[in-house]
Amino acid sequence: MLLREVDYARPSTVEEAVALLAGYEGARALAGGQTIVNVMKSRAAAPDVLVDLANLEELRTIGFSADGLLEIGAMVTCAQLVNSSEVDVARPILAEVAATIADVQVRNRGTVGGNVCVNDPTNHLPPLLVALGATFTIRSRESERTVPADEFFLGVYLTAVGEGELLTKVSVPPSNDAGDGFAGVTIGKHGTYIVDAAATVSDDGVRIALGCVAAAPVRATAMEDRLAGSDFSADSVAAAAQGLGASLDPPSDVHGSADYRRHLAEVSAVRAVLQAAGRRKGA
Amino acid sequence: MTTLTEQPAKTLERGYVGQSIPRREDRRLVQGQGTFFDDVRRHGMGYVHFVRSPYAHARILSIDVSKALELEGVYGTITGDEVAIHTDPFFEMSVEPGGLIKDYALAVGKVRHMGEPVAAVCAATRELARDAAELIEVEYDPLPVLVDAEEALEDEVVLHDDAGSNVVWSGVFDWGNVDQALAEADHVVTIERLHFHRFSSTPLECAGALVEYDKGTGEWTLICNHQMPGVGAIWMAPALRTGIDKLRFVTHDIGGGFGNKICLHPQYVVLCLMARKLGRPVQWTEWRTDQHTANAHGNERTFLDVEVAVKADGEMTGFKVKAIDDCGAFPRYEPLGCIIWAQVTPGMYAWRNIRVDFTQVCTNKSPVSPNRGYSRMQHLWLTERIIDIVASELGFDPVEIRKRNYVKAEQMPYETPNGCVYDSGDYAAALDIALDLIDHGSIEERRVKAAARGKLLGFGIGSTLDSGTNNFGQSTLLNPELQFSGNNEAATVKLDIFGEVVVTLGTVPQGQGHETTAAQVVADILGCPPEQVNVRRGHDTWFNAHAGFSGTYASQFAFTGLGAVKGATELLRDEMVKLAAFVLQAPEEAIELADGMARIKDGPEEAALPFMALGAIVNANNAFLPPDFNPTLNHRYVCRPYFGMVDKERKTGQLTLTYATQIHAAVVEVDPETGEVEIVDYAAVDDCGVRINPQIVEGQVHGATAHAIGAALFEDFVYDEDGTLLTANFYDYHVPHAMDMPPLKTGAMESPSPVAPLGAKGMGEGGGGGIHCIGAAIQDALRPAGKAIVYDSCNPPHRVWSMLQDPGSTRTNVSVVSK
Amino acid sequence: MATPARSRAISLVINGEQVEMEVPARRLLVHFIRDDLGLTGTHVGCDTGNCGACTVQLDGEPVKSCMLLAVQADGSRIATVEGLAPDGDLTALQRAFNEHHALQCGYCTPGMLMSASALLARNPHPTEEEVRYALQGNICRCTGYVNIVEAVVAVGGGA
Repeated sequence: MLLREVDYARPSTVEEAVALLAGYEGARALAGGQTIVNVMKSRAAAPDVLVDLANLEELRTIGFSADGLLEIGAMVTCAQLVNSSEVDVARPILAEVAATIADVQVRNRGTVGGNVCVNDPTNHLPPLLVALGATFTIRSRESERTVPADEFFLGVYLTAVGEGELLTKVSVPPSNDAGDGFAGVTIGKHGTYIVDAAATVSDDGVRIALGCVAAAPVRATAMEDRLAGSDFSADSVAAAAQGLGASLDPPSDVHGSADYRRHLAEVSAVRAVLQAAGRRKGA
Repeated sequence: MTTLTEQPAKTLERGYVGQSIPRREDRRLVQGQGTFFDDVRRHGMGYVHFVRSPYAHARILSIDVSKALELEGVYGTITGDEVAIHTDPFFEMSVEPGGLIKDYALAVGKVRHMGEPVAAVCAATRELARDAAELIEVEYDPLPVLVDAEEALEDEVVLHDDAGSNVVWSGVFDWGNVDQALAEADHVVTIERLHFHRFSSTPLECAGALVEYDKGTGEWTLICNHQMPGVGAIWMAPALRTGIDKLRFVTHDIGGGFGNKICLHPQYVVLCLMARKLGRPVQWTEWRTDQHTANAHGNERTFLDVEVAVKADGEMTGFKVKAIDDCGAFPRYEPLGCIIWAQVTPGMYAWRNIRVDFTQVCTNKSPVSPNRGYSRMQHLWLTERIIDIVASELGFDPVEIRKRNYVKAEQMPYETPNGCVYDSGDYAAALDIALDLIDHGSIEERRVKAAARGKLLGFGIGSTLDSGTNNFGQSTLLNPELQFSGNNEAATVKLDIFGEVVVTLGTVPQGQGHETTAAQVVADILGCPPEQVNVRRGHDTWFNAHAGFSGTYASQFAFTGLGAVKGATELLRDEMVKLAAFVLQAPEEAIELADGMARIKDGPEEAALPFMALGAIVNANNAFLPPDFNPTLNHRYVCRPYFGMVDKERKTGQLTLTYATQIHAAVVEVDPETGEVEIVDYAAVDDCGVRINPQIVEGQVHGATAHAIGAALFEDFVYDEDGTLLTANFYDYHVPHAMDMPPLKTGAMESPSPVAPLGAKGMGEGGGGGIHCIGAAIQDALRPAGKAIVYDSCNPPHRVWSMLQDPGSTRTNVSVVSK
Repeated sequence: MATPARSRAISLVINGEQVEMEVPARRLLVHFIRDDLGLTGTHVGCDTGNCGACTVQLDGEPVKSCMLLAVQADGSRIATVEGLAPDGDLTALQRAFNEHHALQCGYCTPGMLMSASALLARNPHPTEEEVRYALQGNICRCTGYVNIVEAVVAVGGGA
């Protein structure tokens, strides 16, 4: 409950934030704090410097890029996602899933950037953003780069955002003809996921990503391939999921054995795909 | 939220008692003006942080506090070595070998569970105390770890060298003739193993205290949240080598207890030593993770080799079982759990032949303490598992087999084979109310509809008793040398100079609404509105309203707590009547107390004395009273219920006084693909005799149900083989949130207790009805999918899924021999 | 450029009163409120941000004050339970908690009230489902939520 000593700064621009992150050893960005403050309370980790992004208004916006991508600032809260008309128009699954993250208080503070950069295996947004094919914009003092979702999530607390860098926004392609789905099993309603799966079904094919089965979201590529040209009937989707569980090496813990998670991965993937296919425009 | 009320057969004359008066406690609490222990500050106080063991079992090689002491703002430390010098081990209640265990306030020489305090440090701020704790260096030599109770029986690894065995207590309880019952049975149903899991009610406010030491008098004041100070002082004073009156326990508001705030004496002793050593007030607030790892778990119990005697028509005549109770690293309140269950030996059933071979062991897990439904809940889960497994194996309807075996209303009062007396109740009628509430007639139809949606629907009943008011004499069935028996509780009532009625309680409420219900009782006796009665908040052992067993536990407020209030108020009333008769020059029989006045019945308007006049006469204007008439208007009464002595040979006796009834019924839907369980319909019917305040009673039913639902589906203290607790916080130990709770339907009956002062039975703990009915409902739901047997009291999705995958593995647990 | 520091002078408005104080960067908002300002109505029930006993409103929205550093609240407007009825004239919500027996030990109550009053400000006539959703972040161990939900729904005029 009681944190170690820490230094704190609240920059007013992204440039200043990046300079602080790069200039101080052991500096960490502080977004909504809904994970990092808890980690510091348990003293499981103790950053030397917290760089509070609270004043960076430019990271709090939701809008569209010139080429029509939905752009979500890293400091956009889950509550903002839930209530955004842009999200509702472009990719409503984001709001739908964000509305089930923890509770009102956490959604009011917790941010998109925080959720993805922490990349706790049970977090909702990493598998969803992988399924949606999002891209991540990362700033450093020298440059700005864009990383696709498949390359962004590396491990627990480990993403493509390196030392001295800052995630500034997440870009998501609009739905167009795609349908999206999300399913899984939680510990209690809106609780922590035991396993979850996100899926998107479009003319370009199917993308499926699983959460809670490894240190980072796992694409179910074999299942995706088997669904090419599928009629998305319950039977054919279930058939496509065969073998998915066996291809995984999920953890065992108090909430489920590895075998249970392998099984849930198949069930969740099937449910997410069926939901996505059912929502696909013209389906 | 339907409420059905069956009219009691015998209606009592009621005034404020029986009404749902809104609680008087609430006004301060809804404004954030309650006072909880952590709200209290003292000049110069220091904050205490405990250094806790990361190992479940290890020898302590060395403790070095020097770096912590060098930190600016650190006031001092205490280690196990100092504790061993300055205190004596806590009194142990067990016979040998458990009685030989040495339990100190801090680990001495060895740690026996993860999170066990090994040192304490005190500093100027909370944060600094934790910083200093990190600087204390402890060297450990890890030892093999025991987390399994059956393995503990082998004594290959022994936790307590002084005891030489992990067994705390063991003995056989044998009532009736179970061998004959089994021989004469038409069917014998055998169940190899059932497991009642570890969980606790985890009150939202954790434990703690602010402790001040008065050097001049040698007295300690503990501003705390101990829920049973009478017994707390009995533990602490000898350990601290001081007198009981040197320990003043003060409570204000307490944020829930549920039994989990009874075994706080080890930490409190450390605080007492620290306050004396440093000469300053010291404060400790336990954090949630500490509460989960090292304070108060409920008793875990494994039932082996159950054999049940069943007649052809479903009548059951008895059972035998071997019970192994796991009390964790120290038997703090134990071994009382080895006997408390016997208050409900046959459950609600008229079973006459019961043999229980009971053993309690220590393991490298958190110590247990009483937890809502303490020890009875575990046993009632067994009786309910027995009835539902027998019903399922032999093809009896769970409703019919219960009604066939229930103790009948016309048998009340009913003496159980071990001499307890079920005072009143109509179990079958209560079951019918529950069945109506969940529309039992439509279950099969709903089952078909659920199946069409791919869900397995199941229905289950939990029928339980909430026994109230411990006879501490039952401890002598465990250890004949103990000098405990009976029970008592005290209260004082006075009339002050300006006519206010002031009540102090010996009880230590943690949300049960005692300020309200006590005022209702007093108001009726004195003929004044409850608003005129000031029931003081909290408990203070320096008020006279305090007896040896004072506290709020064992569902006894309605009997002993209110019995004491009633007794003291009647003494006050009699004196007020006598005084009024003297002043008004009328016979005592002509005086009535009504509308806040003492007056002559049917007399002229002026023949009346407001309470203020009576208070003023005695307290400030008393010269005219004759020398032989000396009213005080200030009375203390101790309610001492009559139990008689227990029979130590036959292990029988009146172990408790009242038995409230709860029948719970649940309808669940299981997702066969994931093992998830959803409660789709739920009813709880409670019969606690006269309800002093029905709204408060219903609130207790809601709360007990929520605890049971949490325990049945989520809450489980799980250890790995190294003795690490895997559910040490509210992330992994999921308790029900608002969206997890199904709508609850409640019903009530009133079968007044013939023995209780107000006809009101102890209630509130419940008997874990929700755990029983949800388990039964899951078993019913799984019938079409291989007929798995529910063998554990906690059934999270992964366990239900396993039962669906391999129902056969659960079925090998059960066998039936029919003649 | 801002220089990182161990402490920061913060300025905020709490229950309508301006407060200025130098606080250590590591101090949690809940400890600032309880220990530094003496507003002990806001409680601590866990150490992982799950229980919601410490819920306050930050710029009108409920947040858990154990998952915020006090320095993060610099420049904000905070409301705690003590600010609901400053003159002791209970709000309809507080009265409903009393009438519906929506509290037992009262420890979770301040957090519940801050979550519920924020809901009612946004949505004056919530359904039972909406109330449960809004209170999902507040654990109560006494009531099973039945009467809490009933009280909030009643304030909004629902059954």
